[in-house]
Amino acid sequence: MLNHKFDSVKQVLLGDVGTGKSSIVLRFVKGQFVEFQESTIGAAFFTRTLSMNDQTVKFEIWDTAGQERYHSLAPMYYRGAAAAIIAYDITNPATFTRAKKWVQELQAQGTAGIVMALAGNKADLLEARKVTAEEALAYAQENNLFFMETSAKAAINVNEIFHEIAKRLLQSQAPQQNTGGMILVEKAENQSKKASSCCS
Amino acid sequence: MEAHRSTSDRTVLELFIDFDPAKLAGFSSAFPLTIRSLAVFSRPDSLTLIYVGTGGGKLILFSLTPSPSPAPPTIAGDNTNASSTAPIKFLRFATVSNRVIESINVLPEVERILLLSDGFLFLVDPLLLQAVRKLGFLKDVNAVTRRLVRPDLSTLDPFGDGAVTAEHSWSGQTLFKKFGGGIRLNGTASRASEVHRGEGNRCFLAAATGKRFVLIELLLPCTGDLGADYGGTSIFWKEIHGVEGVKTMSWVGDSIIVGTAEGYTLVSVVTGEGSLIFSLPESSPPLMKPLVRSCEVLLLVDNVGVISNALGYPVGGSLIFPYVPESIAEMHPYVIVAKDGRLDLYSTKTGKCLQSLSFAKSSVGPCIVVNDDQGNGEVVIIGTTYKAFCYRKVSHEEQIKDLLRKKYFKEALSLIEECHSEGEMTRDMLSFVHAQVGFLLLFELHFEEAVDHFMLSDSMDPSEIFPFIMRDPNRWSDLVPRKRYWGLHPPPVPLELLVDEGLMAIQRAMFLKKTGIDTAIDEDFVLNPPSRADLLQLAIINIIRYFHFCREKELPPLVMEGIDTLLMYLYRALDHVQDMEKLASSKNSCVVEELESLLDGSGHLRTLAFLYASKGMDSKACNIWRILARNYSTGLWKDPAASVECSGQLAAAAEASKLLVESSNQALVLEHVGWIADIDQECAIMVLTSEKRINQLSPEYVITSIDPKKIEILQRYLQWLIEDQKLEDMQFHTLYAVSLSKSAIKFIEMNLRQNSLGTKRLDEMSISDVENKNYLTYNVREKLQIFLQTSDLYDPEVVLKVIEGTELWLEKAILYRKMGLENLVLEILALKLEDCDAAEQYCAEIGRNDAYMQLLDMYLDPQDGKEPMFKAAVRLLHNHGESLDPLRVLEKLSPKMPLQLAADTVLRMLRARVHHHQQGQIVHNLSRAIHLDAQLARLEERSRNVQINEESVCDSCHARLGTKLFAMYPDDSIVCYKCYRRLGESTSARGHDFKQNPILKSGWLVSR
Repeated sequence: MLNHKFDSVKQVLLGDVGTGKSSIVLRFVKGQFVEFQESTIGAAFFTRTLSMNDQTVKFEIWDTAGQERYHSLAPMYYRGAAAAIIAYDITNPATFTRAKKWVQELQAQGTAGIVMALAGNKADLLEARKVTAEEALAYAQENNLFFMETSAKAAINVNEIFHEIAKRLLQSQAPQQNTGGMILVEKAENQSKKASSCCS
Repeated sequence: MEAHRSTSDRTVLELFIDFDPAKLAGFSSAFPLTIRSLAVFSRPDSLTLIYVGTGGGKLILFSLTPSPSPAPPTIAGDNTNASSTAPIKFLRFATVSNRVIESINVLPEVERILLLSDGFLFLVDPLLLQAVRKLGFLKDVNAVTRRLVRPDLSTLDPFGDGAVTAEHSWSGQTLFKKFGGGIRLNGTASRASEVHRGEGNRCFLAAATGKRFVLIELLLPCTGDLGADYGGTSIFWKEIHGVEGVKTMSWVGDSIIVGTAEGYTLVSVVTGEGSLIFSLPESSPPLMKPLVRSCEVLLLVDNVGVISNALGYPVGGSLIFPYVPESIAEMHPYVIVAKDGRLDLYSTKTGKCLQSLSFAKSSVGPCIVVNDDQGNGEVVIIGTTYKAFCYRKVSHEEQIKDLLRKKYFKEALSLIEECHSEGEMTRDMLSFVHAQVGFLLLFELHFEEAVDHFMLSDSMDPSEIFPFIMRDPNRWSDLVPRKRYWGLHPPPVPLELLVDEGLMAIQRAMFLKKTGIDTAIDEDFVLNPPSRADLLQLAIINIIRYFHFCREKELPPLVMEGIDTLLMYLYRALDHVQDMEKLASSKNSCVVEELESLLDGSGHLRTLAFLYASKGMDSKACNIWRILARNYSTGLWKDPAASVECSGQLAAAAEASKLLVESSNQALVLEHVGWIADIDQECAIMVLTSEKRINQLSPEYVITSIDPKKIEILQRYLQWLIEDQKLEDMQFHTLYAVSLSKSAIKFIEMNLRQNSLGTKRLDEMSISDVENKNYLTYNVREKLQIFLQTSDLYDPEVVLKVIEGTELWLEKAILYRKMGLENLVLEILALKLEDCDAAEQYCAEIGRNDAYMQLLDMYLDPQDGKEPMFKAAVRLLHNHGESLDPLRVLEKLSPKMPLQLAADTVLRMLRARVHHHQQGQIVHNLSRAIHLDAQLARLEERSRNVQINEESVCDSCHARLGTKLFAMYPDDSIVCYKCYRRLGESTSARGHDFKQNPILKSGWLVSR
């Protein structure tokens, strides 16, 4: 539970190839940006701990591959995830369409109550913009996501989006003790332990 | 500095031996054997068994003699003659079937080998001594796996109660067609009716056949005879509904993860539920490898390895292999993948490739890589179609050694880190390795990093660094432990030599680089060759840092001595004077003998002095301070804060004083107080008057030793003796008085000289004038006067002798007074000083009328041809006329005196008389008035009425007054007459003592 002083949040990044998922994570975790970020294969794993008031949230971030060939791996990573960032490239409408599909997939198969953030990445490339913020915002509101335009390159809204996720997680966790579908990694193990001990 | 190297530079595995199983087993080459499956079993008796499954259904057993431990590291190239020592031997073989042996599973718990061939499972004992037994109840087995259980997590017994709950799920189908009372394949007939399973070593297996899983339990009872076919192994089995088309499977905890062409599915053996972990893209066959130690499963998608835990959740990032592996083995914490004669070793933690090696040409056919992942995992066998290669895991130590030998420090360090975090390296070993790395880095001229490592090493003895600073043999030579570590670095040499050699190596490397040869020398150094001086400085700075670090620890005194002494050496080498002085003046363990000549020679005398002082060698320290105080003009001491030479002298005096203040060594104090006084009198005084010393100095010696010219010191010392030490020796009081007198005289003479042409006569010079001129000297006179007045212990005659001929009249007066020579005192006060007030005051002190008379005589007849002092006389008459005869004044008036002048005197005198008379009358009348008032008040008081009734009692005896006579006190207390007589008039019945504490009533005040 997040009521603890310290808890971990399983968080996944989804989105089409080349939308900058790895760059967002790299910016958030290491504060770096690489101009020619290699395409992620499989999934990369990162952690970073955020302090929110008196609580600490440890993000366990799975940065998934955007390539079509690895799409089938995604369910493994979003299963049990408490939060997801769905990234698209504001200069590429196709990636926005793909992002919508990810949202649908998460809504259908993801953890119940998963905190979803829609990130319109590459916000520094304003001149090449193809997806308007209004359009994305409208879509986000419709689907109960929160939306931010980010730029991993210019470090715009990257930390903010994670902070917002942490905030929302803390908010959603605070009132109810049992979160049902939302499984934090630690809790999942606890449950399995409990189950085994009472039955054996 | 190591960027040019790839990460796969480590030697985790080294080739041990390769062999051709068919040849070794003596099979005819006419019937070639193909290697189709492999297994290694490191038995607890340290015999390593290698099982080779062939395409023709044969199981061949070899034994691998473990390398004699600790083995000298075998270099990969040496393997050509390895077979001649024959560490591998053919033991025997068994024919299992006539089809391919697809998998060999070692089941150490039950001492059995499980084979999969031709869709059947077979069991055989590890040494193939008994016949191979087929598990006839199963056929068409696609895959088989043993169950992995994490010892720290409780898991269900798959044959236990948990199964009951499982029956409800799985789409309403009955999960267990057979439960518990499985067919018993045990050969011992007496146990045929067994239903419940006994205790013993057991092992669980899962086999996939068609659409179902069969869960099998092999039990090796701890008791019972082992003479049966299976050595007493019992077999239980049950079936659950499974997934079709299983190609590979792993049983981890309570989950069976199966790989089919579609993807990976997790089947819970508890609930029987299956859920897709992820689906596989086209043309990516399933391949998985259970990771025994962590109870996880590595799932392959193309060339990507995804690690899943028993719940199907991902663990860490993906492993990206350079190819789609044909076979995977685990060697915790690494995985080994193989294909086409190539082998790559990856860290599961970092996902990094640590070692790549190719063992055969790429056309060798499919590769199989196995490792005894349940045992110690030291041996890795790689099989190609016809040949097998045995690799041995290089111990962490050897790996680290190897990396260090190659000067791959970064890799070595990350390995150390890894080993430590895995708990595979003891604290002692870690300390050892850090020290070793430190020494290597030291010889590589990376001083900062070297010291960082020294600091991380708990076992490192600071004395190991000593030989780098001081040549052998020295005081601490025997102290230095003879540690050679791994012998990777040369024996210690002094830093200068070390730097020189390092620089030479760099030059050599630069030369070689030009000819195109790479060396292990740091690229940065080759590109920007450092200067000798810079390197030496860096070395010293860092060793200083290390010593600072060591000083915090508790070390044997000898080592501490070495550290502090060498620290001083190092400071000196850098000319860090401040640090030297700081070290010398603080608590330290420096060996003075080692540093004495060194510091003296280099002119670090201040440091030496501090050092002497800190070691209690006050005499030597003071001597140095004296030398320094004398030689400051030679500029030995340069302090930017005090560039003025004299401040250095002052500092020396101050430092010496600090020592002497506490020293009880009289001779030492007296020896040095002289030069200190020359520089700073205050310091000298401080030394002499210190109360910090245990044994006080003898005043006699001190006084005789004080330079007679340094009067102030003497005086201050005497003052201290008399005022602070309350010394009552007449000798010192007299001495003090005499000394003060002399000072006063000197001052006056000086003043006189200054005013030699001035009009002022000395006796006209008021004290305030003097004060204005020279406060200090004024102070002396005042001091003298005060002392003469307050002390009764000096000899006034001696003092008088000193000041006799001088103008110190007041002092003389004081002395005469002490001697009781009233006349002389008055004479001085009245005539010399013309201080009428003082004279009159003195008369008052004497308290006799004739004193006034005497004074008057003096005024009127001053002798020495002086004019009578009429004014003073009249004044005296005026003030004390009642005790003087005016006629005598008149008589004294000279007949020649002008009337005008005389009239004034006479007039004043007469006026004074009249004034006196009238004043007397006024006083008389006032007194009478007061008397009258008092009388009236008394009358009033006495005429007060008081009402007495029957109840009235005496305040004293409490008897009823009745009609008795009674008295009333002013405080209104009433007593009977008897009591009144007893108590008296002055004390009332209430205890009021009127004599002591008179009552004053407002009405009695004489104001009316």
